[in-house]
Amino acid sequence: MKSNGKLKQRFTFSDPERVEQIFSQYSDKKSATLPLLHLAQSQEGYISNSVIENIADLVDCHSAVVMDCVSFYTMLYTKPQGRHIIQVCQTLSCSLNGADALVDHVTDKYEIKPGETMANDRFTLMKVECLGSCGTAPVVQINKEYHEGLSTQKFDKLLESFE
Amino acid sequence: MNTFKPVLTEYIDQQDCHTLPFYKRVGGYTALDKVLKMNPEDVTQEVKDSNLRGRGGAGFPTGVKWGFIPKDSNKPKYLINNADESEPGTFKDRLLMNKAPHQMLEGMVIAAYAIGCHTSFIYIRGEFYKEYKLLEKVVTEAYENNLLGDNILGSNYSLDVVIHRGAGAYICGEETGLIESLEGKRGWPRIKPPFPAIEGYLKSPTIVNNVETLSCLPHIVNRGAGWFKSIGPEKGPGPRLFCISGCVNNPGVFEEPMGVSLKELIFDRAGGIPDGKQLKAVFPGGSSSAILTANEAIDVMMDFEELVEKKSMLGSAGVIVMDETVNMVQACLNIARFYAHESCGQCTPCREGTAWLVKMLTRLVNGGGKPNDIDMLFEITDNIGGLIDFSKGSFGKTICPFGEAVAWPVRSFVEKFKNEFMEYLIQEKVVA
Amino acid sequence: MPLLKIDSKEIEIKSGTTVLQAAEANGIEIPYYCYHPALEIVGSCRMCLVQVEGMPKLQVSCNTFVGDVPPERKVDGKYDMVVDTQNDLVVQERKNILEFLLLNHPLDCPVCDQAGECYLQDYSFKFGNAHSRFDEAKRVRPNEYLGSQIVINHNRCILCSRCVRFTQEISGTSELFVEARGYNSKIAALEDKPLDNLLAGNVADICPVGALLSTDYIHKNRIWNLKEQPSVCQDCSVGCNVDVFSQRDQILRLTPRENHDVNGYFMCDIGRYGFHRFEEIERVTQPMVRNGESFDALNWDKAIEKTADLIKKSNGKTAGIVSPFHTNESNFLLGLMMNGVLGSLPPITKQEITYQSGFRISADRSPNRRGMNNICGEIVADLPSEIKAQAIHGLYILDDGVDRESDDVWKEILAKMDFVVVQTYAMTALARSANIILPGLAPFEREGTITNDRDRVQWLRSSLPKKGESRADWEILMMVMKALDKEEQTFADVGQVIKVMGEKFPAYKGLSFFRLGPHGMSLNGKASG
Repeated sequence: MKSNGKLKQRFTFSDPERVEQIFSQYSDKKSATLPLLHLAQSQEGYISNSVIENIADLVDCHSAVVMDCVSFYTMLYTKPQGRHIIQVCQTLSCSLNGADALVDHVTDKYEIKPGETMANDRFTLMKVECLGSCGTAPVVQINKEYHEGLSTQKFDKLLESFE
Repeated sequence: MNTFKPVLTEYIDQQDCHTLPFYKRVGGYTALDKVLKMNPEDVTQEVKDSNLRGRGGAGFPTGVKWGFIPKDSNKPKYLINNADESEPGTFKDRLLMNKAPHQMLEGMVIAAYAIGCHTSFIYIRGEFYKEYKLLEKVVTEAYENNLLGDNILGSNYSLDVVIHRGAGAYICGEETGLIESLEGKRGWPRIKPPFPAIEGYLKSPTIVNNVETLSCLPHIVNRGAGWFKSIGPEKGPGPRLFCISGCVNNPGVFEEPMGVSLKELIFDRAGGIPDGKQLKAVFPGGSSSAILTANEAIDVMMDFEELVEKKSMLGSAGVIVMDETVNMVQACLNIARFYAHESCGQCTPCREGTAWLVKMLTRLVNGGGKPNDIDMLFEITDNIGGLIDFSKGSFGKTICPFGEAVAWPVRSFVEKFKNEFMEYLIQEKVVA
Repeated sequence: MPLLKIDSKEIEIKSGTTVLQAAEANGIEIPYYCYHPALEIVGSCRMCLVQVEGMPKLQVSCNTFVGDVPPERKVDGKYDMVVDTQNDLVVQERKNILEFLLLNHPLDCPVCDQAGECYLQDYSFKFGNAHSRFDEAKRVRPNEYLGSQIVINHNRCILCSRCVRFTQEISGTSELFVEARGYNSKIAALEDKPLDNLLAGNVADICPVGALLSTDYIHKNRIWNLKEQPSVCQDCSVGCNVDVFSQRDQILRLTPRENHDVNGYFMCDIGRYGFHRFEEIERVTQPMVRNGESFDALNWDKAIEKTADLIKKSNGKTAGIVSPFHTNESNFLLGLMMNGVLGSLPPITKQEITYQSGFRISADRSPNRRGMNNICGEIVADLPSEIKAQAIHGLYILDDGVDRESDDVWKEILAKMDFVVVQTYAMTALARSANIILPGLAPFEREGTITNDRDRVQWLRSSLPKKGESRADWEILMMVMKALDKEEQTFADVGQVIKVMGEKFPAYKGLSFFRLGPHGMSLNGKASG
């Protein structure tokens, strides 16, 4: 889910009950940081400065400490992304089984290189490291789902199903 | 050849294998029932006697690790299920979570009981979203059936399980990196001492165990340490899930006893190499192990001790097969790039060294090889992670084993396929 | 106590000391970057690796604790731990770490402020390789301001994380963090929360290389051109110990000096940059006498003569105003001279600030209020009333040196005086209202003692030469006293003043430059007030 990128309002969680439930699981507030970041990202599409300030407030620490955490993890984005994030695994087993061809296919057809987003925000292409499903290489993760054992044809058909 | 009857993956082909009714039908949670009537120390002793060694990669004896929990501490104890499977070539924990989640959960409760823990965590890598949703259901199901929460199965023992998602960092599979991440910080591994069993999560005694390790526990309880120890070599026994991927016809997870031959795994279980190509090299234990050439691999038995003798390691048992068509220099670069991407950046050798390796290998692959590059590659890998000779004091240069994890494979590529690297030194133009 | 053997030295140390601490305390050099005694141990730079006998891996000495070992495990029957810091493995490892650190480090020494006090330079010379084997493109990033006082040169940064830990543990303000990971790691601050707390200057001190730099000092000079003089900060009553770096008659910078009874390892930015006000004020460097609305210069003899005259004619109706900005010796002599009413100017009080680590900036922004109260006998609380009651019509004032408009009370007092003598170093508003101005010394030119608000007497060393015809404040007072009574004692130096001071005020007995040493001495509550 993508936000409009020009958030002038302060961020607030749309599901305060879920926030409470998260806090109830941990004896230490700061441990709730990652779950809250995931929740915020699924709500806003990315982690804005406002999200960071809000979460810093909730877990009782400085914004810089939350930013420190966010910038460490590859799954947390500090900028808006495309509607669909195509993550092609490039580590050894997938690389040996045609991952490069999948990346090239996206570049050829949708004219974006790894790290780029289409002008109409439809796809963002990323090369990622081992997704933990080497047995069904090559593996692509689109948004939250794994798509395994993809040939270029299957991949092409799959992509067309994403608006 | 005896076909080995799978223990952990016995039912994975059956349709409802992941459900609680199914698991109970096949004897699930009887081990837990038994354990709750035992003394926690006796549970630990049984696991010690079984010689169960960790299946995450380090291979540390599980019972011994549990024994490090201080008996006289009144701090809360924590058990963390390490489901951050990120080692290239490894995909067994995902299978267990999808197909036998209750088996894993039962193992968690057993472990938690043994160490006196009442709040435990499953740290699952962020990308495993489907598995996360499934585990949410499984945990809820367990609570509803008196298998978690207060007074489990009518005993005095209570346990809460919290599922905590990671967010994309291989280093959070390292136990202290995991603990830091669980505490809401960046996953920078901690210096040891203090060890997690003494001061871990929130400065309290903490045990981190792998999914597969925990999944073994119900079986050890049910069938006894003696049974477990009889499977495979005594020093590192038990059923083991071997992952085979890369250039094979039939990649997948195969459960075999420890000590199975690598040749059998590749050519029999995984269906050999496609198109009649020859084996060139293989990773025996995930990408953090030193590669074996075809000659070396052909008579290797897959167990902890043997692979150490062969100057590699069993690690996560993630076998990656490379055939004659694979360019070793490119493969080496691929692995080096993985480690450079995943380096946490905290300590000097790893942060600077992994990037140096990638830069050097990239230059090599693009035709810019210089005469002393080979020697430099050897030196740099030594300086990051040391020689794979456990008798010498040449490692420990980094805070965590990541240094060794990048040094050993990269060095083994250069060492064993030196001629391929040398070709890049002579080439003037780009090699496809 | 455990017995530790490092190389060839046998050291008995307290249990729980680290090998690094033991080595440092005993003159054995183990190089390190990320360790700092005031900060949490992280063991990330790997520079302090040593070989510990019995452990196959090299160990970071900053995190290797020495403790008692059961007799059967002692090495050679007597040592609880044996450490080798010089064997081939350790020597090679240091070379390797330095090589890694220098991969992306630019060859900036000729233009880098840190040159001459840089640990990368020092260790490279001592432990490193002579040349680089790095043949790839270096990672290059532009400099950034982390706050108004601190700029970071990312290319020089070795990611020891001392600065990040400082803002987390000492100031507790957490402005700095590490951004991204691996090779792309860099030190950062949020755009809307820059590093602007009052302890910010310390991060440039603790940065072992020239990555974090003070914008106040950047590119101004070279450390080897500067004279270094230990002294004490005079911008509040805490009295942090400092090192004053000067060249000829100009101060270039102040850095904190370690004193565990006062400021620990750090100082605040108020004191750190406070010396700039001496560059901006109008200095008084000649004795002057009022002539209508302006002043005429005088020589010292005339000035002293006139002053003594005025005091004698007042027949004991002159009051002395001591100052919490002046040394004990100056206040003491004024007290002796006046033998009567003593008062002080209104105090300068601002916000008291205490940081997470306990570091404190006092609300009292004068350095020697405690000393002033100890040394002067009776300081009258309500000076205006006392002046009225005793019909005082002359004042001899030791000026604070802080230019401020007098409040209404003081305006009234001054208006009623027949004469005002102001001993000062700056043309303050107060000085402008004087009849006679006697030029004393500015704070960093003075020599003498001050007492902080925790009862510690510390020695001020003069860091700068005198300007023009200014004299030491105690010397001026001595001259006036002798003009008033030829039998008065002559003091050859400030030490002799202290001796007499100690006789009159027993708490201050026996003090001397050598006795006070670099860290001062506690009065242990012996003095009153």
